[in-house]
Amino acid sequence: MMVMTAEWTRIARALVAPLAALMVTTAAAAQSADDGFPVERRQLRVTLDHGVDAWRTYWEGTRRRDNENIGTLRTRQTVVSAGFGVTRSLALFAALPYVATNASQGVLAGQQGAQDLSLTAKLRLLETPFTRRGAISAFVYGTGSTPITDYTPDLLPLSIGLGARRATARALLHYQDRTGLFADAAIAHTWRSTVTLDRPAYYTNGRLTLSNEVAMPNVAEYSATVGLAAGPLCLPITFIDSRTLGGGDIRRQDMPFVSNRMNAQRLHVQVMLDLPKTGKAVRLNAGMMQVLHGRNVGLSTMWSGGFTLVRGF
Amino acid sequence: MRARPTSRVLRTLIALGTIAALGACDRTVQPTEVLPALEVSNVDADAGSWRPIVLASPEQVPVPAPLAVTSAEYRAELEAVVRAQRTMTPAQRANMEYWSSGGVLRWNQVMRELVARYNLPPAPRADGTYVFPDADNPFADPNFPFANPPYAARAYAYVSVAQYDALKAAWFWKYRHNRPAPSRTNATISTRVAATTLPSYPSEDAVLSAVSAEMLRLLFPASVEQITRLAADQRDAALLSGRATASDIAAGVALGRAVAAAVIARAGADGMRNAVGNASLWASLADSVRARGETPWTSLESPARPPMLPLFGRVAAWTMTPAQLLADGPPPPPSTNSAQFRDELAEVRRTVDGLTRAQYAIALKWNDGAGTYTPPGHWNDIAAEPVRDARMSEVRAARTFAWLNMAMHDAAVACWGVKYQYFNPRPSQVDRAIRTPIGLPNFPAYPSGHSTFSAAAATVLGHLFPARATEFAQMADEAGISRLYGGIHYRSDITEGKAHGTRIGAIVVRAAQTDGAR
Repeated sequence: MMVMTAEWTRIARALVAPLAALMVTTAAAAQSADDGFPVERRQLRVTLDHGVDAWRTYWEGTRRRDNENIGTLRTRQTVVSAGFGVTRSLALFAALPYVATNASQGVLAGQQGAQDLSLTAKLRLLETPFTRRGAISAFVYGTGSTPITDYTPDLLPLSIGLGARRATARALLHYQDRTGLFADAAIAHTWRSTVTLDRPAYYTNGRLTLSNEVAMPNVAEYSATVGLAAGPLCLPITFIDSRTLGGGDIRRQDMPFVSNRMNAQRLHVQVMLDLPKTGKAVRLNAGMMQVLHGRNVGLSTMWSGGFTLVRGF
Repeated sequence: MRARPTSRVLRTLIALGTIAALGACDRTVQPTEVLPALEVSNVDADAGSWRPIVLASPEQVPVPAPLAVTSAEYRAELEAVVRAQRTMTPAQRANMEYWSSGGVLRWNQVMRELVARYNLPPAPRADGTYVFPDADNPFADPNFPFANPPYAARAYAYVSVAQYDALKAAWFWKYRHNRPAPSRTNATISTRVAATTLPSYPSEDAVLSAVSAEMLRLLFPASVEQITRLAADQRDAALLSGRATASDIAAGVALGRAVAAAVIARAGADGMRNAVGNASLWASLADSVRARGETPWTSLESPARPPMLPLFGRVAAWTMTPAQLLADGPPPPPSTNSAQFRDELAEVRRTVDGLTRAQYAIALKWNDGAGTYTPPGHWNDIAAEPVRDARMSEVRAARTFAWLNMAMHDAAVACWGVKYQYFNPRPSQVDRAIRTPIGLPNFPAYPSGHSTFSAAAATVLGHLFPARATEFAQMADEAGISRLYGGIHYRSDITEGKAHGTRIGAIVVRAAQTDGAR
């Protein structure tokens, strides 16, 4: 408890006295598969996260509505992920979510199962001092992901995923101030494979396709983060704008379809804290993600929490 | 403090990138069935003598004699074809190739697309009520029509029957007037699609374009623009391919319209306009079931939606009289108070609770629910392949779809009659723990529409393509059992629906055997 208090004092100092420069070198950081912090060489980070995403209102195309045959659509997601620092600049990550969906009203059955396994390589291209106050670094990421179970993407919004293999290229610029304040800007582009349905024809985007294969449009994502990484604390706030580059809208009173133009602007607030007395071996994570505006997606709020175990080799 | 990637790092990245790229490289989809240019195996020169369905005889729609092939006017028409062929644009060529695979197959695809486009139930209003689609205001919300399975079955049948009657009449007048194909009179006209001995006047392509457009505009008025454009495209293709001149096309359009008018007159009087019913009818259905001591169906949608087309069972059938419809119906379903009912309900719950992925795939394959071309559309999709493979003449292809779709229309009428006679609950209504992985139709359970449609369709297709009869029967069984896998039908819905559909199919086969086509 004493130590805890001391830690919180340090946080308070970091918050109110941004020039407490000493702490910067020891600052905690997220070190995840999408942020601007490198994983230390030969360090293994294993994370278990659980999140609950819920929406009652959704966008049917651009029309905002509720649906009493769905009620509240809840998606519970448990993600196991691991990251390993191969060198000071390169880290590899793997992640696998287990997803379960449920509608609070109506007769549709929820679905559950392991979803898509993703592998990410995160490479720091450069790190250079920027003014006398901080440093800039640049990262590129390559991610490949594939469904590992034969779930159907054909019962949205109850399906646990979209069923496509994906390849993502991403670039991020990271500015780190001496005080622990940081800011990121990132762009990403995702290519998606076709998806196979269990039926021989489907109608979307104004036409009937006589095939069980669905072409999936690409997805672009733009994000910006501001945050504080000080002492045992890391607190990033991210705005994410993801846009599907094609696809049709959900028609009036229709179900969503896998290749719909799903767009969302979201705000993601996270808090990460190294557990005191563990020598940074255990970190607690909590987050909240709120959809602000969307198209063919739910107006969802997601709460998540979990922990990361850190070990050097 | 600059980090430099090592070569090992680069190699790792390249490997990962390659894996990711390969994973996502398969990205395009063939949007339509592959249809080769049609080279008919038989022109069916006697089709003008085949028995009409709606017309009394082909002479009911007279086609005046054409100008002589030696006339100046006709020679000018031929020259116009030559000029059009010389100046053909890539878009015109693509259009010609599109229609070269056969107009009946193309219009069938179009029809399936239209059904899928309009197969959406009205959205509830803020006060929890529903507005019915209005044929006089088809672009409003909700769009007209709601092309649900009975609506679709009837639409596929009317369009197919009109095409069949129009093409038989076309064949009749073609051989009556015997105007040779344009290329036989003017050798500079190239036949861009396979030439046949079929006389060119009136143009079968124009007949088909007009009769299809007239019928589809009535059934799917909000898509008038697409329908009209396609009809014009088909006529352009007929001229550019060297198969028809302007007068062949004009006579074909007139004939197609005349046949459509006769078929539309039948449609206007077939009882469809009363099929929706009204609030007091809906209440009386439940009351009469309660009076028998049974549990009546209720809508599980929220807000509760009126039952789908409760009086569709009174719509005129093609091959059965109202008395025959009653006589051929299935026995009553198990009483909702009986042990058999409880056992069948328990089977539904056991099935959805223990559903395998393979069973789920079957449920999804045959779901054909809202937003799709419906089960009758699925059977048209199935029939398109053997029709293509048999290289049927247009009139024989139209015959195939006409009997198939008359069978499914009659199956829909018969099945809907029984559904609203017994008005019994779906499994999820009686056991709220039964949740469906495919969605729940908003009408009574007994008997299964999928089973009835599919058995009738498989029986007719098995008669028309005997070599594939077993395959069709297996598909029908799979379509039936898919509804148990979906948790929305009891087993007796499926077995009795199949038996009923098979009886209807047999009646349709007997009618088809006497239409004069060998």
